[in-house]
Amino acid sequence: MTDLLYWLQGPVPETAPPKVEMPPWGETKVVGKPLPRVDAYERVSGSAVYPLDFALPDMLHAAILRCPRAHAVVKSVDTSAAEKMPGVRAVITGKTPGADIPWFRGRGKWFSKLFDERARYEGDEVAAVAAETRAQAYDALKAIKVEYEELAFVLDPREALESDAPLIHEGTNRYGDPADYARGDVAAGFAAADAVVEGTYSTACEIHSPMEVHGSVVKWDGNRLTVWDTTQGVFEVQEAVAQSLKLPLANVRVIGHYMGGGFGSKLEAGKYTVIAALLAKTTARPVKLFLSREEEFLASGNRPANTMTVKVGAKKDGTLTAIEFSSIGSGGAYPNGASTSFLATDLYTCPNVKARDENVAINAGRARAMRAPGFPQGAWALEQAMDALAIKLGMDPVALRLANVPKASQRRGNQPYTSTGLAECLRDGAKAFGWSEARKRPKGDGPVRKGVGVASALWGYGGGPPATVVVKLYADGSVNVNTGAADIGTGTKTVMAQVVAEELGVPVEKIQIEHADTGTTQYSGPSGGSKTVPSDMPAARAAAIEVRNKLLAGAAEDLKLPFEELRLEGPDVVSAKDPSKKVAVTAVKALERHQVLVGVGTRGPNVEGKVISMFATHFAEVEVNTRTGEVTVTRLLAAQDSARVMNRLTFECQVQGGLVMGLGLGRTEERVLDRQTGKMCNANWHDYKIPTALDVPAEQKVLSVDLVDTECNTAGAKGVGEPATIPTAAAIANAVHDAVGVRVHDSPITPPRLVALLSGRGKKG
Amino acid sequence: MLPSFRYVRPRTVAEAVKALAEPGARAHAGGTDLVGSLRDEVFDAKSVVSLSGLAELKGISATNDGGLRIGALATLAEIARHPEIAKGWPALSQGAAAAASPQLRNQGTLGGNLCQRPRCWYFRGDFACARKGGEICYAVEGENTYHAIFGGSGCFIVHPSDTASPLVALQATVRIAGPKGPRSLPVEKLFVLPAVDHTRETVLTPGEVITEILLPPPLAGGKGLYKKVRARGAWDFALGGVALALSVKDGKVASARVVLSGVAPTPWRVPEVEKLLVGRPLDAKVAAEAADLAVKGAEPMSGNEYKVPLVKGAVEEALLSLV
Repeated sequence: MTDLLYWLQGPVPETAPPKVEMPPWGETKVVGKPLPRVDAYERVSGSAVYPLDFALPDMLHAAILRCPRAHAVVKSVDTSAAEKMPGVRAVITGKTPGADIPWFRGRGKWFSKLFDERARYEGDEVAAVAAETRAQAYDALKAIKVEYEELAFVLDPREALESDAPLIHEGTNRYGDPADYARGDVAAGFAAADAVVEGTYSTACEIHSPMEVHGSVVKWDGNRLTVWDTTQGVFEVQEAVAQSLKLPLANVRVIGHYMGGGFGSKLEAGKYTVIAALLAKTTARPVKLFLSREEEFLASGNRPANTMTVKVGAKKDGTLTAIEFSSIGSGGAYPNGASTSFLATDLYTCPNVKARDENVAINAGRARAMRAPGFPQGAWALEQAMDALAIKLGMDPVALRLANVPKASQRRGNQPYTSTGLAECLRDGAKAFGWSEARKRPKGDGPVRKGVGVASALWGYGGGPPATVVVKLYADGSVNVNTGAADIGTGTKTVMAQVVAEELGVPVEKIQIEHADTGTTQYSGPSGGSKTVPSDMPAARAAAIEVRNKLLAGAAEDLKLPFEELRLEGPDVVSAKDPSKKVAVTAVKALERHQVLVGVGTRGPNVEGKVISMFATHFAEVEVNTRTGEVTVTRLLAAQDSARVMNRLTFECQVQGGLVMGLGLGRTEERVLDRQTGKMCNANWHDYKIPTALDVPAEQKVLSVDLVDTECNTAGAKGVGEPATIPTAAAIANAVHDAVGVRVHDSPITPPRLVALLSGRGKKG
Repeated sequence: MLPSFRYVRPRTVAEAVKALAEPGARAHAGGTDLVGSLRDEVFDAKSVVSLSGLAELKGISATNDGGLRIGALATLAEIARHPEIAKGWPALSQGAAAAASPQLRNQGTLGGNLCQRPRCWYFRGDFACARKGGEICYAVEGENTYHAIFGGSGCFIVHPSDTASPLVALQATVRIAGPKGPRSLPVEKLFVLPAVDHTRETVLTPGEVITEILLPPPLAGGKGLYKKVRARGAWDFALGGVALALSVKDGKVASARVVLSGVAPTPWRVPEVEKLLVGRPLDAKVAAEAADLAVKGAEPMSGNEYKVPLVKGAVEEALLSLV
């Protein structure tokens, strides 16, 4: 599996199983309700303080000098002129004492340094400046004289494997051997097939483009460092910064709180934090270091481009007989995952499967996990192949998929799923979308043609330990919830407040959330992998139940009644047998005595012998102008299986966002590298095209199939962030094919690409 | 980061002209292009001359001959929502509405839209390209998806304006103030092909500034439109487009101006198509012939061959939508 699933890299520490009994919820009073976010006002009014807004007295501003070439040796760095610039307080390079810090670890070795003598992509860090103002810092960068020795570069992973390709790292451009997977006999499977389709597909490189750029504010107090970071995981940053600066974890406090989007690019610590810490140490001043938008495009991560060949065979009735899948992609100039084969090996029942993933270094910005890393790419290839197969078989594409719905994860030892909502997503989604009617509708014989398409997905992770949450009941009956989890814009705080409200009967307004601070909150893994709901909500539930148990135990003493007889009903603890026997929560002596009741909840291990996965099916309707290649996506519908929906409103919002992001992959987003220089042509928000409101269909529907899953975890919820974006682009591509009979193998489906194909000028796949 | 510059606020056109004649002076109208270009270090400025205090450059009003005077500082939003322009000069109305995004249209001016610098990513980015005084045009061997199929030589930018092609089609005139006094030019003569000078886009000389744009009265039986094809629904320049200004009499085209956008370093008039249309009825056959002719002689590069069918399709669709 190697780098296939980023969350499986290395063992995770387990926390103790919860101490309390947590039977599955039946009907819930608060959980699931479409509650507005607890911090909605702060977010929309602008009063929420994001790390980018953060300022400290006496704070300096820092900026990073980056190599403007795709591949070069940094021969010398002369900072003397920069040091004399107005306002400049420090300039550091790789030669500065304490700055020789290894960076980018993979396969047991370090691939680079904080400031490497060898720059391997446009954007690699060369030096940094701290000055009184941000403008002074950037001005000083221009005064740093760097002598580069230019090296040959390579931008395409396939070219990087050629014998005469420039070597980016020692020995080989491969990040490890090709990762092979096989089950059954693929040759026999294809021989037994009545229909076989084969094609090569590619996806363009996407940039995460969060609203808030990457960066930190740092401050030293003696040898203790405080970091205000825009991050998906404060503990991840704490660990990396502590290691880099050789400090104990206890000396590094990382505070997250609000953050303006990450989509995976903020799962790890950035060089900027450590650079800021070095500059702050040198100057004895707090330092703020945030990337510019241009740097964000070059050096903050990306979803790598992939080229995938897929071959699928099936019997006349649609039963799959064999799948062969191969993929090549690039982690970039430094190692990161680039695999895409997972869906091909696990989404549909198929006895004979062979897959290969190759990951190769190129001279371009390093990839980082991006919302379902590898999966939208894999869906783009697999789900278009499934569409082509359905056409070849003369089957409805929904029916073909329904014929191959798995009950167990074949990729993971044939272990059964705790719940498999794929069939429901296909059926309920098709019904809500009006799939059959839309398929029958005439496509039009004028220049504008209509079409519909479908694509499915799974997301192979349902959270797990470790996660610890602390719930405190205050003397007045209000509650503090303490969690290390980030709220990356998904509504973590809101949903956790609902969980605690559910168990304690306290209104959400009386619950305060303290979160994402290594100094004051408990460990939680970074918010990625759609894991925060399934990992942290069970811990929150356990903590709330422990508080309730303590309260009931106290009331039992006060009322001289057995614990089992007591119920928490609103502001009172009441006897189930005799409602006249009761005590107000705030009058329970145990609470009065301590002024607080504390519950600690931990996330227990996942169920053994079973696999937890989320499923999704997306439907798209498009209009294609055959004269100009213009595509209008007129409707999208997402049918999602996340088991329990924790909050209808935030759930729907998150799926809406997933659809828009998927539409970006399918229709507009593409990093362009100049073949002559290796530099990025479109490192700005105009030329790198994020979808606008006018590209998003007026009708975007979200449907949860609402399966009951009592095994996935004690919240019964599997998560939603990533499966909400995986199949969208493929569904749009299939709709375009339905409309005009042209299969667009390469993302994004732009007017240039489509009009070229329609006029017979484009590359045929 | 923005460079250091002097900011000048002239109160009269004469003062503005004087300030703009200084070396390194840049005019500031809406600033939507200027500020970004300075910040991205596409070009430098020693002084920035604000036009915002010049009342003569503002407003939209009818002229005595039934035409229209549009001050150079009229915003694209004002033009796009102006009912008289929508009625009499629809190509301009639609061009203004198709440009940029609502925020940018509220800020960007018509004069600025005509004088904006090219959007070529080699020109805008960290590349020493020919237009910035470098040796080569990177688009020739590089990433030329958005580049010219007509009129390139030594530089292959496309003109970014969505209002320039409509104004050429509508036979508009620009009034220019300058150190040697005012002058007028057809908008068609405002732009410079790279073969003439690949370092500038307009014939304006130092100190000159567009003060107003004059539209002749609408033609009897006039029809017009601007069709723009783009990769994204808003905030995107034309992949290809066409401005039409026709007049129809007794079911036949009496006069025609056909000007392509997004295909050449200047608005690209196609006189052969205009000739073909005159005297013919507007029907599917004529539209198809005209569309074929519109792309005749195109010289696509490695990555922009698609512009040939795209522009052909846009012209055909535009003509048919006037039927």
